This record gives sequence, C-alpha cells and structure tokens, in this order.
Amino acid sequence: MSWISVEKAKKLEERFGYPKVSESKGVVSVEVPKDKFIEFLKFLKEDKEYDFRMFLDLTIIDHGEKEDPRFQGVVILFSPSYQQRIIVKTWALDETLPTLTGLWKGAKWAEREAWDMFGIKFEGHENLVRMLLWETYPYHPLRKDFPLEGIKDTYLPSLNETLRGDSLEGMFNYDRMHTALPTMEDLEITQKRRMPVKTSQIVLNWGPLHPGTHGTIWFLFDLDGEYVKQCDIIIGQLHRGVEKLGENVNWQQFIPYTDRMDYIAAINENHAYVLAAEKLLGIDIPEKAKWIRTMMAELSRINSHLLWLGTYALDLGALTMFLYTFREREKIMDIIEGITGARFTINYFRIGGVFADLPYGALDAIEHLIKDLPERINDYETLLTRNRIWLSRNKDVCIITEEDVYDYGLTGAVARGSGVPYDVRKIDKYDAYGEVEFDIPVGEKGDSYDRYLVRMEEMRQSIRIVEQCVAKLRKMSKNDPYFFQTPDEKKLKVTIDGRGMKLPAGEVYASSDNPRGELGFYIYNKKDGLKAHRMRIRSGAFYNLQVFTKAIIGRPIADAITLLSTIDPVVGETDR
Amino acid sequence: MGVKKVGAKPQTLVEKIFFLDFIKGLKTTIKHLWKKVITVDFPYEVVVPPPRFRGIHGLRTVDGTEGPEFDGWVKRLKIKPPEPGETRCIACKFCQAACPVPELFDIQSEKLDVPEDHPHYGLKVMTVFNMDLSKCTFCGLCTQACPTDCIIMTDIYDLSAYTRRNWVLDKDMLTQIANDFVARRGKEKFDEKSQWREDQKLWPEYDKTREKLWDFNMPRLGPNYQDQTA
Repeated sequence: MSWISVEKAKKLEERFGYPKVSESKGVVSVEVPKDKFIEFLKFLKEDKEYDFRMFLDLTIIDHGEKEDPRFQGVVILFSPSYQQRIIVKTWALDETLPTLTGLWKGAKWAEREAWDMFGIKFEGHENLVRMLLWETYPYHPLRKDFPLEGIKDTYLPSLNETLRGDSLEGMFNYDRMHTALPTMEDLEITQKRRMPVKTSQIVLNWGPLHPGTHGTIWFLFDLDGEYVKQCDIIIGQLHRGVEKLGENVNWQQFIPYTDRMDYIAAINENHAYVLAAEKLLGIDIPEKAKWIRTMMAELSRINSHLLWLGTYALDLGALTMFLYTFREREKIMDIIEGITGARFTINYFRIGGVFADLPYGALDAIEHLIKDLPERINDYETLLTRNRIWLSRNKDVCIITEEDVYDYGLTGAVARGSGVPYDVRKIDKYDAYGEVEFDIPVGEKGDSYDRYLVRMEEMRQSIRIVEQCVAKLRKMSKNDPYFFQTPDEKKLKVTIDGRGMKLPAGEVYASSDNPRGELGFYIYNKKDGLKAHRMRIRSGAFYNLQVFTKAIIGRPIADAITLLSTIDPVVGETDR
Repeated sequence: MGVKKVGAKPQTLVEKIFFLDFIKGLKTTIKHLWKKVITVDFPYEVVVPPPRFRGIHGLRTVDGTEGPEFDGWVKRLKIKPPEPGETRCIACKFCQAACPVPELFDIQSEKLDVPEDHPHYGLKVMTVFNMDLSKCTFCGLCTQACPTDCIIMTDIYDLSAYTRRNWVLDKDMLTQIANDFVARRGKEKFDEKSQWREDQKLWPEYDKTREKLWDFNMPRLGPNYQDQTA
C-alpha cells in the first residue's frame, strides 16, 4: 500500500514522545502539538529514513462551532523514495497556524485557500490574501456555521424575470435578495493586494476573459520591458463551492457535481471520488466494473489530451491541429455518449461500480477506434514534433526542475516532464491498473517541449491500456455483475441511485491520476452518515498552476501562452 | 516499474537545409485535401442520439409493459389503480430524494373526493408534477430511483426557451413527451418489462449521418462478451 506502515509511524512516537499515531482504513495520520508542528515536519522532510519531500495537500477541518478547539490543520505528504504517504495533523489553537512556506513553497496557495475558506491565519506567511474570493468578502464560507445557500444580503432584483410589469415569484424565479457580489472597487482592491510591491510602472493584466487563458484566469505580470519580473494569478471566478456542496449532498448525489469540476475529463473526476468513497466503505467492487472503469478512464484521458493538443497548437499558431484532434475527439465522445448517455458531464461511475453494463457493440467501436488512433497520433507528430517553429517556441522554454516538483506538489504530466516518475496509477494500483502493462513517460529537462512529448507518449500508453482492457472484457460473461452486490442489506446498503446510503466514520485520502495531475479526495467523516463532514478536493490543476508564477519569471511575455498550455489547467478544477 | 524516457532530438543539418520538417508536415495536410467533409450540417442534418442518451424527461403511462412490482407499489402507496393511458407516477418522490438538486421537483398528490362507498375511497392520485429543467443536471439518477419506471429520459436535447418559465414542464407536457418518445424509439431502449434492453445498441445503426463524423469508416457493432448473442 502507498501509506506509511503503522510500525514505522510508531517509531516516530518513540523518538519524539508527542506524536499520536492513528490509523483508519489504511490511512495513517500523526497528530502533533502546534508548537512542535514545524519542527516535526522539518524532520519528516529532511530525515533520510522518512524522506517526505513532496508536499501534497494542506487543509483544515472545522469540527463545528461547539467544539473547542474547533479547527484542525491537515497536511498530506509523500515520500518519493519509499512511495508512501502520511497525514500530519495539528489543532489550530486561537485560529492560527505556523506557515509551511519555509519548508514547501507550494503551501503558499494552500494556506491562502485555508485562510479564505476557514479564516485560519498563518503566522509568517509573506502575503496572506484570499485565494478564491475577493478581498472585501466578509465571510469564510467553508465554516460549518455558514449556510449552504449563502447569506443573502444584497438586493438584486434584476435577475428576476418580469412579465408585463409583474415580477414572477415562486419555483420559477429567483429570490430578490442575492448573496454578496464583488463590485469593480472590490476587484481593484483585490488586484492591488495581490501584488503589493511593484517594480515597474505598469502591471499587465491578462484575462480573466482572454481566449488564451482557456477559462477565467486573471494573470498579473509585472514587466521589465518584455520580461516578466513578478507574476501573480487571481483565480476563483468559477468558484462554485464544490467542497461545501460535497458536505451537504448525499454520497452518490455528489458524483454529478464532480463532473463539473474538470469538465474535460469528467470520468476521471468521478473516478477519484468513487475510489475515496469505496475506500471509506471498505468494499471491493466486481471485477468487470474495475475493467470497465479503467478502460473508460483511459479513453477519457486520450480525449482530454486531444483537446489539450489541439488548443495548445492553436495557441502557438498551428490552427490545423485543432481541426484534426477534434475529429478524433468526436469519435471518442460518440462512444462515451453511447455507453453513458452523455458526452460531457458523464456521471457513469458509482460508488460500488458503474450504473449500467456496456451496451451492445461498445467494445467493437472502441477496438475500431484504437486501431486507428496510433496512426493519427503519428500524423500529429509529423506536423509538430520536428517542426522548427514548434521547436523554437517550446525547447528550453520555462524549465520546471525536479526540486520544484517536490516543493510545489506538482503531479501528472508536469511532474513527469521534469523527470519525476510520479504516477498514482502505479503507486496505488487502483482498479485494474495493477494488472495492465504500461510505461510512465518521463522527460529529461523539464521544459515545455518535454511536457509536450510526455503527453504524446501518454496517449500511446493509454491506447495500450485500453487494448488490454478490451481483451480482458471480451473474456467475461454478460451475466457478471457490474455493481457491488451487498451480502447483507441491513448492515451495508449500497444503492445505484444513492438513497439511504450511509458511509461509516473515518478518514480517507484516495486519489486517481487525472490528465491534469493527481486529483485526491480527502474525506473526513465524524460518524456514520448520509453526508460527509469534510470533503476536501486536492486539485492537481490548482497546484500545477501555482508553479506558473515561478516558471515564468525571467521569460518573455509570449512564453506565458506556452507555459500555460503545457501546464494545462482547467479552471473548473482549480476553482472548484 | 516501466519508465520510458522521452527527450528532444536536435534537428539534423539535412532537415534544416532542405526544410524536411515542413515538407513532411505538408504531406499530412495534402493527404487531407482529398477527403470528404466530415462535419455535420446542424440543424439541417442531425445525428440521432443513442438509446441511452440523457435528454429531457418524460412520464410514462400505463400501457401493459409495467414491471412485475408495479401493482404492489400502487397498493402500498394507496394510489388509485391507474387505467391504461393514465400516468404510472405514484407520487412516491423517490426521484426527488435521489436528485442532486431536489428543489427542481414539485410533486403533489391529493386524496380523491369520492363518497365512502366508492371503491376508490381514501385513495390518492398524483395531481402536480412540475420539473424545472433549468436546474437539472441531466445526471439520470431520478430514472434509476423510480420504482415504477415512470420517469424516463428521452432523446430530446434542445431546451432553448424565450422565458425561464418555459423550462418548467408540467405533468401533461412530460406525459406527452414520454408517449411520443416511446412510440418513436421505445423498442430500441426498453424491453417488455420497461427495463433497459439487454441488447441495447451503442447507437442506432439506421442513422446514416453518424457515418460522417466517423470519417465514413463506421465500426460494425457486434456482441461484447463471449456468451452474448446478436
């Protein structure tokens, strides 16, 4: 398993005395007092026996208004040399915590998000401003005393429809009072606080509604001539509070919401969530469901990479690429539509399997597609890989080093492009990934060109996986179950539609390797319940985007497009 | 652990001088010059959605294809036994319970106003069934929760309206949509017990427009598993 063993964690207890080790569903967490927090993390990071160099996630749990202490900080770390994860927890007394930015630079955004959502102050943080919401917003929405529908304090009748002078009321219309909205002044304050020290006369704004940013990301560049001296990113324009929703809807009902995070690869989003929930339930799903899921997840990865390739080339001026990749993409979407019923927001996976078996002819269509695909990918490569314009725009552009990968918690193709073979599919071996053969492509240098090559190779590897899945599924029977069959309905109820489904108490972290990096779900459940107590989404795109602010420094402004395209964030996932 | 190194190879001198990279790229482009158009000319041409397509909802009526448990559910919820042609809805609100956005449903039932000696005395009937589809995520959980296979999803996907009120479908509209859909494509999707057919096709093979988006090279659909028959 990819978690530190309890014995090894107990050694920490012996050595320091103060850590308290607990284990739930294979997930090992260590609780330390607040004043020893930094010292302990530093030891974990630097000691060769533990070597938890890689930062994965930082979040807060709100235990409820009545509890004292109320807030708990949670840090998830990964050890690249032992392939293990660990959770370190501490109580945030007086609503403050010491900053981790001295140890991992990647904690900067995570701490800002924790401040934004929970109002926890991080002592020593260089510029603790809000992450997703605007600066003058008065509340901290992920606190348990903040209602799901928000606090409606702004009079906004213009959203209401009027018909012959009458305002309509009832089910068909909105309230006249709306939750707070940012004004232009609020946005100006936000922008100024993000970059308090300017070196040049002018700050270039890129976005939030620029076609090159592929979504609503707002970049601030402090320029020296054409070269970037300082950069910051304002995200949150697409923030919909998915974590809050996850704490307020039932288990299966949350799956459609995960679709809408990374809408390009919705299947992979569902996958990460159902893995976490199944881990918490402690069930093993039927063999057929595992193989179907693996196959669908890889099809979705190819689909996502094709969109990435098309838009990336389009941004760098190769328009035809976009048309070619969309032709192949259409075929994959057509197959996905036939199997699941939707092209985009798929909602096919369920906690316990998938909601329906493959329809008649699905495997034939997939086989037909993957027979054709390698040739198409070769076509794309002849257009781009050796092209001198492509080379000069990508080679040695925005190098991300191995050090950055561990510091910023980079995952997915961005980490692999920098030569780190970090792949959750190999580490966790979830579903059928333990039984299929595939290679992890890694780059040499960590420049944009390497990230491009890694993704191209990833598509070929995905085709390999799909081939193996189809061959395996062919041997199965039509009567094999595709959904978990509970031995005793009274003890354990798992339903396709999610009514009356309860998940036990405990805490889990499970992740899947998305096209955009590791998407992890940290679920903390206080008692058996219909809803989660804390649903943390560790978004790969969020952490990958953070390295943009570092990698762009010293590069000309034109490289921003290249870097953003090779990092390939989806705003739905960064903002959640 | 299989790790495959990928890395840049520098351009050779021959490639640089003779522009081989451009010529090779142009070959791909020229190859595509002689191909047929693959775009579908919407709305003059439409691709027929697959049987599993999750379009707007419908409420099925009693037509002799109900599942074996239908009468049991009607009795349990004290609903007036429906005549053929009447709705299958028993106002159990399971769809609302399974919905990620429950406020989109407005379901009400009423007791029948009949004298005490009437056989339907004390029985209920569904009177209001409104769905606000502007809030709907089209996830299909309601159709899976329905115990009487009443609520279904059809292949209709154009939802545009001039006013927000037109997105709210009432029970008559939903029934009409379902009746129309079942008459058109019911055999493709459902079996005699209103369940999804076992041999439900990936897509309708009679649809010739789909060939276009498949580059005029359609896969032929066959059985998935070794014990499945055509």
